[in-house]
Amino acid sequence: MKLRCDRSGLGVIFAVMGALLPNLSTTAWAKDKESIRIGWLSSLTGPQSTSAIAENKGVEFAVDEINRAGGINGRKLELVTRDTVSDPKTAVNFAKQLIFEEKVVLIIGPVNSGESLATIPVVAKEGIPNIIIGTVDELVDADKYPRAFRPINTNRQWIEAANDYALNVLRRKNVAILGDTTGYGASTAKAATSALEKQGIKPVYSALIDQNKTDLTDELNKARAAGADVIMPWSGNTGFMARIVNARGDMGWSVPIVGHPTVMAAPLRKLVNKPTYLDNTFAAGYSSMTYDDKGRLPATTKTLQEKIRPRLGDGEIAYSFWWVALGYDTVKLAEHAIRSAGGTDPAALQKALEDTRNFPGVYATYGYGPKERNGFSDKNIVINQANSFKDGVYRAAPR
Amino acid sequence: MLTVLVSGLASGALLAAAALVYNVMFSTSKVLGVTTGQTAMLGGVFGAWFMTRLHFPVIGALLGSVIVGAVFGLLTDLIAVRRVLSRSDEHLWLLSTLALATITQQAVALWWGTEPLPFPRIIHQDFGAGLLDQKYWLPVVTALALAAALELFYRRTLYGKLFLAMSEDAFAARARGIPTDRIRALSYVIVGAMGGLAGFMAGQLTFAYFAVGITLSLNGFIALAVGGLGSNAGALVGGAALGILSAGASYFIGGEYQNTIAVGVLMLVLLVKPAGLFGAQVARPV
Repeated sequence: MKLRCDRSGLGVIFAVMGALLPNLSTTAWAKDKESIRIGWLSSLTGPQSTSAIAENKGVEFAVDEINRAGGINGRKLELVTRDTVSDPKTAVNFAKQLIFEEKVVLIIGPVNSGESLATIPVVAKEGIPNIIIGTVDELVDADKYPRAFRPINTNRQWIEAANDYALNVLRRKNVAILGDTTGYGASTAKAATSALEKQGIKPVYSALIDQNKTDLTDELNKARAAGADVIMPWSGNTGFMARIVNARGDMGWSVPIVGHPTVMAAPLRKLVNKPTYLDNTFAAGYSSMTYDDKGRLPATTKTLQEKIRPRLGDGEIAYSFWWVALGYDTVKLAEHAIRSAGGTDPAALQKALEDTRNFPGVYATYGYGPKERNGFSDKNIVINQANSFKDGVYRAAPR
Repeated sequence: MLTVLVSGLASGALLAAAALVYNVMFSTSKVLGVTTGQTAMLGGVFGAWFMTRLHFPVIGALLGSVIVGAVFGLLTDLIAVRRVLSRSDEHLWLLSTLALATITQQAVALWWGTEPLPFPRIIHQDFGAGLLDQKYWLPVVTALALAAALELFYRRTLYGKLFLAMSEDAFAARARGIPTDRIRALSYVIVGAMGGLAGFMAGQLTFAYFAVGITLSLNGFIALAVGGLGSNAGALVGGAALGILSAGASYFIGGEYQNTIAVGVLMLVLLVKPAGLFGAQVARPV
């Protein structure tokens, strides 16, 4: 048998390859043996890119800031960026490339759980320290992946804060849980249900819904018929969350919504039919990103906002600022580890991060331990009002 | 229950429009291009762009979306279909249209962004209109209008008859002097315009979102297969059935089973009636 390969076939291959070729950062070409090379795996394009683009602003700003101040012990940081295009397979390929070809000393990212679940064993196998941004609880494990450290909160922390607000502050007991059918949506909705049941609350309505379903009025009608007095949505999909908010608003139903931060994310605000539809809507947020009673922000947040504002367009910050702050903090954590370790030896970096206690970041204060890989403590979480977005941050929900 | 029916019918109407697009495309080229869903995606995204960024009036945005769709349809023929058909009898068009669909989606994602953006109201109406809201009935009216227009086009115009002639036998049509390349190009312009119009009219349901195309291509194909390839009535019935069934499955059984049931129905219909509900069984001369 002879394989045929005519020119039109080659044209197809080139076209597909052209579409799929990832963006290679120019920093990859500017190798400097004296610099400290840090890998940055981020979904800068693709469906998960909105938060990643914001985090990237923080990461790049922190690297530039450290380098302007002379680097770490005289060595500049060199960021080696790879765009994972929101695809776990691509993330794995780039993780290997960063380790074997680019010889990075530490990897920051990937920046979502789906990609992180795929890369974490690969990075761990080579013993490279990894600061990982994914909220799925099972992602980090001090025994299996001893050099993977998480600066972001876990899903459990979001869920517990939201449940506490719905049950103990709003005094609601008839909960409707809505999740999407993606792995993340389904597992988070299941964890939320389980957490409620531990508190003796059985949801009156629970549904997993295709995230591409174009109208959710029927689901909310069903929740209302089941007697729900609070809607708790768990999904990272902006369109899905917007459809829940719009269906509630169009129905004229005044039930509160309490759930995942996506329900107050900046892109969602553009999708709601009326701004008032975000009234009575609350989501898990961060004390560092919350105005106090007098409308003031924590000093570290305000300082970073003002320093980075020119890079974000100089006007009001139009997206959730915690993404930027989190990206900034990941580099600062890496800097702290390298300084504390006195170099880039992987075992020493692991020890330095394990010994970290109360490290003051902008997004949160971090602390790890010999068996603790979640650096974000519960006290950093608050509940925010979705309709209070201003300059990238929110007001606290009334208690 | 009525909500399930109405919302299912609305999303099914968009699938029906995609199935109609497949029918026109197939009639002149025997190609079922993966770019079908992207024509609707472009209609939604460009419609929103014309209205929200360029501040076009609705009618201007509608015409703009149809023109963008038509141009994309023509490019589909020139880039992904014409050369492939001229050089190979095999189904390489599947790859070439998939490549073009992927490139288009990525290009729109880079330009427009990867988050869904709002699609403005087309007709002045309050959001509290319930099941009479325009987002439900606009796609249904559009699908019906497209099917009716196609019937008129096939029955009453010379070009429509040329489409039918090519559908019967493209080689015989060419032998009779019909410029088949030009007719096929025209059909792809019509295909793109239809998709652009459908995407525009369903924009309030789908939002202006770069990723709706691939799902629409797949589910539009299922609607076509259920209704019967080549039948416009079948496309309407197949789309409506699939939309209502998906909404019903999600509501009564659970969203995690929605797609399984949709594909299961496709398999069932193909097993019982391989030509689809309204498709004609073609006798193969031996």
